[in-house]
Amino acid sequence: MTLARAAAIILTKELRLEFRARELLTITVVFALVIVVLFSFAFDPTAGESRRYGPGLLWIAFLFAGSLMLNPSFAREQSNQTLDALRMAPVSPFAILAGKMLANLVFLGVAELILVPVFAVLYNLSLAGIVGRLALVLLLGTIGLVVTGTVFSAVASHARMRELLLPLLLLPLLAPLLIAAVEATAALFAEQPSLDRAWLIFLAGFDIVFLTASWLLSDYLLEE
Amino acid sequence: MRNFHFLLAAWMAVWAVFFVYELSIASRTAKLRDDIERLKRQLKDG
Amino acid sequence: MKARAAITVAAAGLIFFAGYAALFIAPDEATMHEIQRVFYFHISLWTGMYTALGLAFVANVAWLVTRQPKWDWLGVSAVEVGVVCCTGGLITGVLWGKPAWGIWWTWDARLTTCFILWLLYISYLILRGLIEEPPRRATLSAVFGIFAFLDAPLVYVSNRLWRTQHPAPVLFGGPDAGLDPVMVRVMLLCMVAVVIVTLIVLVDRYRLEGMRHDLDELRLAAEAREFKSNSAPIKELP
Repeated sequence: MTLARAAAIILTKELRLEFRARELLTITVVFALVIVVLFSFAFDPTAGESRRYGPGLLWIAFLFAGSLMLNPSFAREQSNQTLDALRMAPVSPFAILAGKMLANLVFLGVAELILVPVFAVLYNLSLAGIVGRLALVLLLGTIGLVVTGTVFSAVASHARMRELLLPLLLLPLLAPLLIAAVEATAALFAEQPSLDRAWLIFLAGFDIVFLTASWLLSDYLLEE
Repeated sequence: MRNFHFLLAAWMAVWAVFFVYELSIASRTAKLRDDIERLKRQLKDG
Repeated sequence: MKARAAITVAAAGLIFFAGYAALFIAPDEATMHEIQRVFYFHISLWTGMYTALGLAFVANVAWLVTRQPKWDWLGVSAVEVGVVCCTGGLITGVLWGKPAWGIWWTWDARLTTCFILWLLYISYLILRGLIEEPPRRATLSAVFGIFAFLDAPLVYVSNRLWRTQHPAPVLFGGPDAGLDPVMVRVMLLCMVAVVIVTLIVLVDRYRLEGMRHDLDELRLAAEAREFKSNSAPIKELP
């Protein structure tokens, strides 16, 4: 079975599981909204400040909501020991990992699709003319979040206190991604929107580095 | 010497950190050594 | 035992001489005068930290490839020692910043990288504490350690790029600040002293880990023997 086909099957399984319950998506979106609202109480943004703090706030909300949402990825497998069944299937460990990464990418992507317009409304930021470029920045940033988050979900699933452990492991590691994503987003929300190529390349580089590392280490992540 | 107390604090802090760490290692090593000896004797007699 | 004592005494002597050199032999720096001398310890601790964390990376990879316990011992020892150096680096950074710039902290690229690395590797140690079975603990912490090491240059680059867009006080000039040859020699001396101390502490920690392993094996053997002596003999079939 090829990697693509195996990953696609895992992806379908994950999606089917989630859309039956839909709890994960709902909680992620609502939690991110809560963060956005709380920040507005903490900072009381005027129009000028929205442009400055908005992108940072948006990405902080994504990172926090995302790092909570990524937990069930592997925790779910622990409770019913379904990971053993997956391991025995004739698929490479990386296919399992990739399937889960893709599923998480879809979940987080849908959450962002809902959140970004809401955020733009709440903070009076115009999305006109930048939607495509913003989507690119969101995609690259989310890929980095999802790749590292899925790997660390696998790591944390074998440890105690995994709900607290996952954000602890993930968030410091994502500091470079946060900087790059926020700067790229800020450039798009500026008076003269522009696509900051340097940060985009950095984001792509970040994604490639950790995707490659995940591929090389996938055997060890999923072993007995 | 201006700011001498900061400088001295820095120098002492650095070596204090190493020293405390080394002390903790040494005490844990001593305790482990005792435990190992005890278990070895237990296995020999048991 | 004798060799170990000799090394310790030599290292202590080296430390004292390096400290003396940094405090009294190195020439005075034009703008910041005395407090600049923290530079020698600060950069040396950086060097110690990167040495330790580099060793940790090698150990992590080696464990995954060979599965020999000694690499796991080296991994955790190197990370712990690296965190110690990092803590020292952060403390000296703060103790430089206040007198030199009037601020306790600034988010310049080097200090930020140091802080993030500190958080990452403390998380490594926390992770290890939360996994019980030794082989799994070794494997998962090795994977995390590799990710953390790969992240380090990314943290530094992203902070540099960010700081060119949002300039802030740069605390430590550059390693070439003050190319006075005496300064360079004192710098090297302090670096060597710190790295040697780092390695000595690392070896001790490594030995401690090895002893822990021996203790666990002995415990298993003791439990096995108890189990054998306690189990009832199998009854004869009627």
